[in-house]
Amino acid sequence: MSAKVNTMGAAGARPDAAFPSGAPRAGETVLSVEGLCVGYRGEGGSRVPVVEDVSFELRAGRMLALVGESGCGKSVTAAALGGLLPRGMSVDGGKIAAAPGILRAGRGLAYVFQDPGQCLDPVFRVGRQIVEAMPRADRRRSRERLAELLEQVGFHEPERVARSYPHQLSGGMQQRAMLAMALAGRPRILVADEPTTALDVTVQARLLRLLADLQRKENLAVLLITHNLGVVAEVADEVLVMYAGRAVERGPVSMLASPRHPYVEGLLRALPRLERGAGPLEGIPGQVPALGRRPAGCPFHPRCALARAECRERVPEWREAGDGRALACWVRGGGGR
Amino acid sequence: MSGADIVMRVEDVLVTYRRVGRTTEAVKGVSFELREGRCLGIVGESGSGKSSLARALLGLEPEAASGRVWFRGEDVLSMDRRARAAFRRSAQMVFQDPLGSLNPRMRVGDAIGEVLRVHGRAKGRREAAERAAEWLGTVGLGAEYAPRYPHELSGGQRQRVNLARSLCAGATFLIADEPVSALDVSVQALILNLMKRLQRERGITWILIGHDLAVMRAMADDLLVMRAGECVERGPAERVLFEPRHPYTRELLSAVPDVAGALRRRGGGGARQSGREQNT
Repeated sequence: MSAKVNTMGAAGARPDAAFPSGAPRAGETVLSVEGLCVGYRGEGGSRVPVVEDVSFELRAGRMLALVGESGCGKSVTAAALGGLLPRGMSVDGGKIAAAPGILRAGRGLAYVFQDPGQCLDPVFRVGRQIVEAMPRADRRRSRERLAELLEQVGFHEPERVARSYPHQLSGGMQQRAMLAMALAGRPRILVADEPTTALDVTVQARLLRLLADLQRKENLAVLLITHNLGVVAEVADEVLVMYAGRAVERGPVSMLASPRHPYVEGLLRALPRLERGAGPLEGIPGQVPALGRRPAGCPFHPRCALARAECRERVPEWREAGDGRALACWVRGGGGR
Repeated sequence: MSGADIVMRVEDVLVTYRRVGRTTEAVKGVSFELREGRCLGIVGESGSGKSSLARALLGLEPEAASGRVWFRGEDVLSMDRRARAAFRRSAQMVFQDPLGSLNPRMRVGDAIGEVLRVHGRAKGRREAAERAAEWLGTVGLGAEYAPRYPHELSGGQRQRVNLARSLCAGATFLIADEPVSALDVSVQALILNLMKRLQRERGITWILIGHDLAVMRAMADDLLVMRAGECVERGPAERVLFEPRHPYTRELLSAVPDVAGALRRRGGGGARQSGREQNT
């Protein structure tokens, strides 16, 4: 899409010189991930794959949701973007390519986590911590910028919040303070890893609206990591579903109305909903395979009712299916059913 | 006490925590009746007092709780030792974190066997092991899981072990505090189905504490909505979910992220922001 794509770690791009030609336009690709593989060294020295062959693009002003159950590799994928992989894990293959200046630490790409404690230091006032995250240019007028940021994330009394210590704020407020801190660096990409999982539903709804609003106003490219398909349907533009380290299906959010991959189908059927009858739910039998014990072939085949011989032997190819949709399934892949 | 099939009757229960110079009213007068074999869902957000209420109902807040809690005609809050021991057998709690409530160094078969022996349901190790294996089968795991340690099981499997442990002493009444919140969606459905099956086949009476109204839809026969220590609405689950009377219940319902509803509202999805240019 965009011609100005550099490889990861391209030095030389000065923080403030990001996007020399101005801000990216809505819909423009700011980061593309191609065939990302992440793993760690297991016992006996062999590589244990955590994420295998995952590809996606992040676009300005759009939100991509990375969805999956625990252990599917979604958080590791997100961590790989900013070079935040846990100790021992490393990128084994693939390419993370960004528009210039995007991937510099603390600038261009910002994170918001489930637990505000990961970002907020309990011994400093919130305001000071946000100011610290500002680029030098903004620090000269830090007071105005601080008030602006806190208002942006929905605080009516920015001064009181700025003076507070993290423990004096509620969970939802801490989450918003963390968001303000992330925005302080004027990022182009916001990675939100389960930002609302620990929050009450009414607070969650407010934070999601705020996130969608910021994404639009600030033209942010947002990568939302979540296990909650309801949340995805509320705010995301695009969805990528992962299972056991692999991408299984991708498409515009409307694909959740007509998923093709049997796992995604099963996941949606398993979801308790208000609108359904009070009869038994449909779970997916079995469980997500543990790291290092992933089956050969399609990772989902041991739990899949449609699995055939080839599903057990070969990893399904990632195939485009039209309308921005793609999936990896021998049975349902390749355009139609 | 009218109605022999009433398992629990709660009248004006208050839970007040007192610390030096400060009192916190966690539960401010909640009343309800729970009939045999039904599931009462108690929903509320964090800090609404639902877990404090649950603990009070089991007599676990002797200092802080006041009011009346009758369990099959006996007052839980003023039971003598003997009555209390019997109550502990028939009323049990299931927690959210199944790992935290299992001894990490005990094989799950032994963990169930221990409960059986303590409550006199099995004599000797051999019988305990046999009955534990049966219980593992009842909760859908099978005897082959008996020699495993908790860390070798998935979250859903651990929750099954916990259910077996709660039930094997002869419990007929369970209070489950967010039992599926920590589980993946595909597994959550299986555990909820198991709970429903136990309710049906073994006549278990449940109180399900939670925040997820969609989960309540799948499990609860009756619902009690709590906010800031008060019950704001109570009634049959269908009625509360589909004809909510209290504004707070309506707010909770509208905040539940719902796939079908959201897609409908957004009309084909993704179109909300497409094309429009938003510059900074």
